[in-house]
Amino acid sequence: GGGGAGKMADKEKKKKESILDLSKYIDKTIRVKFQGGREASGVLKGFDPLLNLVLDGTIEYMRDPDDQYKLTEDTRQLGLVVCRGTSVVLICPQDGMEAIPNPFIQQQDG
Amino acid sequence: MAASATTNPSQLLPLELVDKCIGSRIHIVMKSDKEIVGTLLGFDDFVNMVLEDVTEFEITPEGRRITKLDQILLNGNNITMVSP
Repeated sequence: GGGGAGKMADKEKKKKESILDLSKYIDKTIRVKFQGGREASGVLKGFDPLLNLVLDGTIEYMRDPDDQYKLTEDTRQLGLVVCRGTSVVLICPQDGMEAIPNPFIQQQDG
Repeated sequence: MAASATTNPSQLLPLELVDKCIGSRIHIVMKSDKEIVGTLLGFDDFVNMVLEDVTEFEITPEGRRITKLDQILLNGNNITMVSP
Protein backbone atom coordinates (compact mmCIF):
# COMPACT_ATOMS: atom_id res chain seq x y z
CA GLY A 1 0.00 0.00 0.00
CA GLY A 2 1.10 3.52 -0.80
CA GLY A 3 0.39 6.36 1.55
CA GLY A 4 2.07 5.11 4.69
CA ALA A 5 4.97 7.49 4.53
CA GLY A 6 2.79 10.54 4.24
CA LYS A 7 1.18 10.69 7.63
CA MET A 8 3.44 11.01 10.58
CA ALA A 9 1.24 8.78 12.70
CA ASP A 10 0.28 10.74 15.81
CA LYS A 11 1.25 14.25 16.59
CA GLU A 12 3.29 12.82 19.42
CA LYS A 13 5.76 11.10 17.20
CA LYS A 14 7.77 13.66 15.32
CA LYS A 15 10.68 12.15 13.56
CA LYS A 16 13.64 14.44 13.25
CA GLU A 17 14.84 13.62 9.80
CA SER A 18 17.72 15.48 8.42
CA ILE A 19 17.48 16.66 4.85
CA LEU A 20 21.23 16.30 4.62
CA ASP A 21 22.84 13.00 5.41
CA LEU A 22 26.13 13.95 6.98
CA SER A 23 27.29 10.39 7.46
CA LYS A 24 28.59 10.43 3.93
CA TYR A 25 30.96 13.22 4.95
CA ILE A 26 32.38 11.44 7.96
CA ASP A 27 36.18 11.39 7.85
CA LYS A 28 36.12 13.75 4.91
CA THR A 29 37.23 17.34 4.87
CA ILE A 30 34.35 19.75 4.78
CA ARG A 31 34.03 23.48 4.68
CA VAL A 32 31.63 25.16 7.05
CA LYS A 33 30.43 28.74 7.06
CA PHE A 34 28.97 30.44 10.10
CA GLN A 35 26.78 33.34 10.93
CA GLY A 36 29.04 36.27 11.55
CA GLY A 37 31.26 35.52 8.57
CA ARG A 38 33.56 32.91 10.00
CA GLU A 39 34.61 29.97 7.90
CA ALA A 40 36.29 26.80 8.90
CA SER A 41 37.33 23.56 7.35
CA GLY A 42 38.19 20.29 8.96
CA VAL A 43 37.59 16.57 8.96
CA LEU A 44 34.09 15.69 10.06
CA LYS A 45 34.27 13.35 12.99
CA GLY A 46 30.75 13.54 14.29
CA PHE A 47 27.45 15.37 14.19
CA ASP A 48 23.95 15.35 15.62
CA PRO A 49 20.49 16.16 14.25
CA LEU A 50 20.80 19.72 15.49
CA LEU A 51 23.74 20.11 13.14
CA ASN A 52 26.33 20.48 15.86
CA LEU A 53 29.55 19.23 14.30
CA VAL A 54 32.79 17.74 15.49
CA LEU A 55 35.68 18.74 13.27
CA ASP A 56 39.27 17.61 13.59
CA GLY A 57 42.33 19.46 12.40
CA THR A 58 40.19 22.54 12.05
CA ILE A 59 41.47 25.56 10.20
CA GLU A 60 39.57 28.75 10.82
CA TYR A 61 39.44 31.61 8.34
CA MET A 62 38.27 35.01 9.34
CA ARG A 63 37.02 37.88 7.23
CA ASP A 64 38.40 41.33 7.61
CA PRO A 65 37.29 44.55 5.91
CA ASP A 66 40.29 44.43 3.64
CA ASP A 67 40.22 40.66 3.41
CA GLN A 68 36.99 40.40 1.46
CA TYR A 69 37.64 36.80 0.83
CA LYS A 70 41.38 36.38 0.72
CA LEU A 71 41.43 33.54 3.18
CA THR A 72 45.18 33.10 3.35
CA GLU A 73 45.50 35.74 6.04
CA ASP A 74 44.39 35.08 9.52
CA THR A 75 43.97 31.36 9.44
CA ARG A 76 44.23 29.58 12.70
CA GLN A 77 44.72 25.97 13.55
CA LEU A 78 42.16 24.95 16.08
CA GLY A 79 42.50 21.19 16.20
CA LEU A 80 39.50 19.35 17.58
CA VAL A 81 36.47 21.59 17.64
CA VAL A 82 32.74 21.43 18.26
CA CYS A 83 30.78 23.72 15.94
CA ARG A 84 27.40 24.93 17.09
CA GLY A 85 24.64 23.92 14.74
CA THR A 86 22.74 27.08 15.53
CA SER A 87 25.55 29.07 13.98
CA VAL A 88 26.14 26.98 10.86
CA VAL A 89 24.84 28.40 7.60
CA LEU A 90 26.59 26.28 4.99
CA ILE A 91 28.29 22.91 4.73
CA CYS A 92 30.06 21.65 1.66
CA PRO A 93 32.87 19.25 0.83
CA GLN A 94 36.22 20.93 0.69
CA ASP A 95 36.98 19.56 -2.73
CA GLY A 96 33.55 20.41 -4.02
CA MET A 97 34.28 24.07 -4.45
CA GLU A 98 36.76 26.33 -6.11
CA ALA A 99 37.44 30.01 -6.32
CA ILE A 100 36.30 31.62 -9.57
CA PRO A 101 36.75 35.10 -10.96
CA ASN A 102 33.98 37.44 -10.03
CA PRO A 103 31.14 36.91 -12.50
CA PHE A 104 29.42 40.10 -11.51
CA ILE A 105 32.03 42.61 -12.47
CA GLN A 106 30.72 44.79 -15.23
CA GLN A 107 33.04 46.41 -17.65
CA GLN A 108 32.40 50.10 -17.97
CA ASP A 109 32.78 51.45 -21.46
CA GLY A 110 33.58 55.06 -22.32
CA MET B 1 11.77 0.67 5.04
CA ALA B 2 12.20 2.12 8.48
CA ALA B 3 13.61 5.58 8.61
CA SER B 4 17.16 5.08 9.75
CA ALA B 5 18.40 7.04 12.71
CA THR B 6 19.91 10.33 11.82
CA THR B 7 23.06 9.60 13.76
CA ASN B 8 24.96 6.46 14.58
CA PRO B 9 25.95 5.92 18.20
CA SER B 10 29.37 4.69 17.19
CA GLN B 11 30.59 8.08 16.07
CA LEU B 12 31.58 11.03 18.15
CA LEU B 13 28.66 13.20 19.21
CA PRO B 14 29.42 16.90 19.57
CA LEU B 15 27.81 17.19 22.98
CA GLU B 16 29.72 14.17 24.17
CA LEU B 17 32.95 15.89 23.33
CA VAL B 18 31.86 18.95 25.26
CA ASP B 19 30.95 16.71 28.15
CA LYS B 20 34.42 15.23 28.15
CA CYS B 21 35.83 18.73 28.51
CA ILE B 22 34.08 19.33 31.78
CA GLY B 23 36.75 20.18 34.32
CA SER B 24 39.37 21.17 31.80
CA ARG B 25 40.32 24.34 30.01
CA ILE B 26 38.18 25.19 27.08
CA HIS B 27 38.33 27.77 24.34
CA ILE B 28 35.09 29.25 23.09
CA VAL B 29 34.76 31.27 19.91
CA MET B 30 31.76 33.53 19.56
CA LYS B 31 30.02 34.62 16.38
CA SER B 32 31.63 38.00 16.85
CA ASP B 33 35.36 38.55 17.21
CA LYS B 34 35.33 37.52 20.80
CA GLU B 35 36.77 34.48 22.49
CA ILE B 36 36.48 33.11 25.96
CA VAL B 37 38.96 30.82 27.68
CA GLY B 38 38.09 29.16 30.94
CA THR B 39 37.47 26.01 32.87
CA LEU B 40 34.28 24.30 31.91
CA LEU B 41 32.03 23.54 34.83
CA GLY B 42 28.98 22.50 32.90
CA PHE B 43 26.56 23.11 30.07
CA ASP B 44 22.96 22.49 29.19
CA ASP B 45 20.97 21.36 26.19
CA PHE B 46 21.24 24.79 24.63
CA VAL B 47 24.98 24.78 25.22
CA ASN B 48 24.83 27.67 27.60
CA MET B 49 28.03 27.21 29.55
CA VAL B 50 29.19 27.76 33.07
CA LEU B 51 32.85 28.66 33.22
CA GLU B 52 35.40 29.52 35.84
CA ASP B 53 38.62 31.52 35.85
CA VAL B 54 37.63 33.15 32.63
CA THR B 55 39.65 35.35 30.31
CA GLU B 56 37.90 37.28 27.61
CA PHE B 57 39.71 38.11 24.37
CA GLU B 58 38.88 40.59 21.68
CA ILE B 59 40.53 39.15 18.63
CA THR B 60 40.69 42.11 16.26
CA PRO B 61 42.31 44.76 18.44
CA GLU B 62 44.39 41.88 19.73
CA GLY B 63 44.31 42.60 23.39
CA ARG B 64 43.23 40.73 26.42
CA ARG B 65 40.15 42.36 27.71
CA ILE B 66 38.94 41.37 31.12
CA THR B 67 40.06 38.55 33.32
CA LYS B 68 37.07 37.40 35.27
CA LEU B 69 37.22 34.93 38.08
CA ASP B 70 34.44 33.33 40.00
CA GLN B 71 31.98 31.81 37.69
CA ILE B 72 30.22 33.05 34.63
CA LEU B 73 27.25 31.89 32.69
CA LEU B 74 27.92 32.22 29.01
CA ASN B 75 24.84 32.50 26.84
CA GLY B 76 24.96 29.80 24.19
CA ASN B 77 23.16 31.96 21.64
CA ASN B 78 26.36 33.46 20.32
CA ILE B 79 28.70 30.51 20.60
CA THR B 80 30.14 29.38 17.28
CA MET B 81 32.93 27.01 18.24
CA VAL B 82 34.12 25.16 21.29
CA SER B 83 37.56 23.68 21.52
CA PRO B 84 39.40 21.83 24.25
